[in-house]
Amino acid sequence: MTILVQIPPVLRYECGGARELAVAAATVRAALLQLKRDYPDLYRNVCDETGAVRRHVNLFVNNSFLYQRDGLDTELVSGDVLHIMPAVSGG
Amino acid sequence: MNEPSPPGPLDRYVRQMRYSPIGEEGQRRLLDSRVLICGCGALGSVLANTLARAGVGHLRIVDRDFLELNNLQRQVLYDEQDVEAGIPKAIAAQNRLRRINSQIEIEAFVADVAPANIAGLLEGVDLLLDGTDNFETRFLLNDASLKFRIPWVYGGCVGAEGQTMTILPGETPCLRCLLQDAPPPGSTATCDSAGIVAPIINVIASFQACEALKILAGHREAISRTLNLIEMWDNRLKQINLDGLLAAGGCPGCRGEEYPWLDGQRGSQTAVLCGRNSVQLSFPGRESLSLEMLARQLEGVGRVTSNRYLLRLAVDDYLLTVFPDGRAIIGGTEDVAEARSLYARYIGN
Repeated sequence: MTILVQIPPVLRYECGGARELAVAAATVRAALLQLKRDYPDLYRNVCDETGAVRRHVNLFVNNSFLYQRDGLDTELVSGDVLHIMPAVSGG
Repeated sequence: MNEPSPPGPLDRYVRQMRYSPIGEEGQRRLLDSRVLICGCGALGSVLANTLARAGVGHLRIVDRDFLELNNLQRQVLYDEQDVEAGIPKAIAAQNRLRRINSQIEIEAFVADVAPANIAGLLEGVDLLLDGTDNFETRFLLNDASLKFRIPWVYGGCVGAEGQTMTILPGETPCLRCLLQDAPPPGSTATCDSAGIVAPIINVIASFQACEALKILAGHREAISRTLNLIEMWDNRLKQINLDGLLAAGGCPGCRGEEYPWLDGQRGSQTAVLCGRNSVQLSFPGRESLSLEMLARQLEGVGRVTSNRYLLRLAVDDYLLTVFPDGRAIIGGTEDVAEARSLYARYIGN
């Protein structure tokens, strides 16, 4: 199944400027692994060396945080949108 | 013929009072309120401007920076005369706000918000507003909010995107519930590295200011309970449900167990390097940063050179030397607040 990963503006440089990426994945973990293969620089901004989501980054599926679902094992269905949300520091 | 009667103290707020959720009672509450605005740059300018005009009776503004010409594109309280005069932002803001509303009390502090002074700054304050540009200060504000049970409204912007969230201690999730830790130095884009357009500032700060009006006018039921994300260039608005985040246990701060930024265990440690016109900043306990990524972020900001051990950025009259553990030596100043400001602007923390 194909889901969309929405890329925040600050990370688009890491994936050739794409606003969103279509990814075939059944879980959030599988989607991240595909990003690791295809866009390793992007992946490094989202996950650390152990595969854990970085502590200043949040992921959510549609409008729910992963903690409200099953974490990285959250299942995805076609049309779901996985958002990557790094902290925004300026002001 | 009778002379027209002088305006009453509430006359200037008549349109605002006509808005029924505020009314005269809400207006009187605003006039009796005391707000601390931390940082008076882009977000802080809009916050202070809006609240002064709305008649929040006591505004306390704290900022560590001086004005520069490139601030005027988005920092709406200031003008060319302020830049030419070379005065601190807090003072320029106070001068301007007094001309906008002479009936309210406006205090200005030229200071770096730190564990040593935050309790004093918060004395008597009903609400804390985030006009800062870095997470080190925001995590300190978050700790102080939780410990002293003072609500605060987070706002952050870069490029054309922004985030905001309202924190009512014990009632809604806090910043630390949302972000387990402050971003490692150099891991987030800053307004100096990624740029910033003014409209996102106005939108995010206006959202924060409206949350302030709700809280101060006694309408906590109307407060936003979501994380609000806006990407203006892409026309995306998202509201993320935070239900259950606090019920899931909350963070150690919400549980009242620890306030490491307030206690000084976290955040930067600084040392003036005598005779070198430099200040060293270090961040114990923080993740390491990627010098390669930082070099990319700083392209076009100044002259960047790097190797696997360090990165150097020469910008204006300063030389910033950054190490993979986030430590930096800021050359060109012995002023700790100025060094911290430069770090927040160019490296991000």
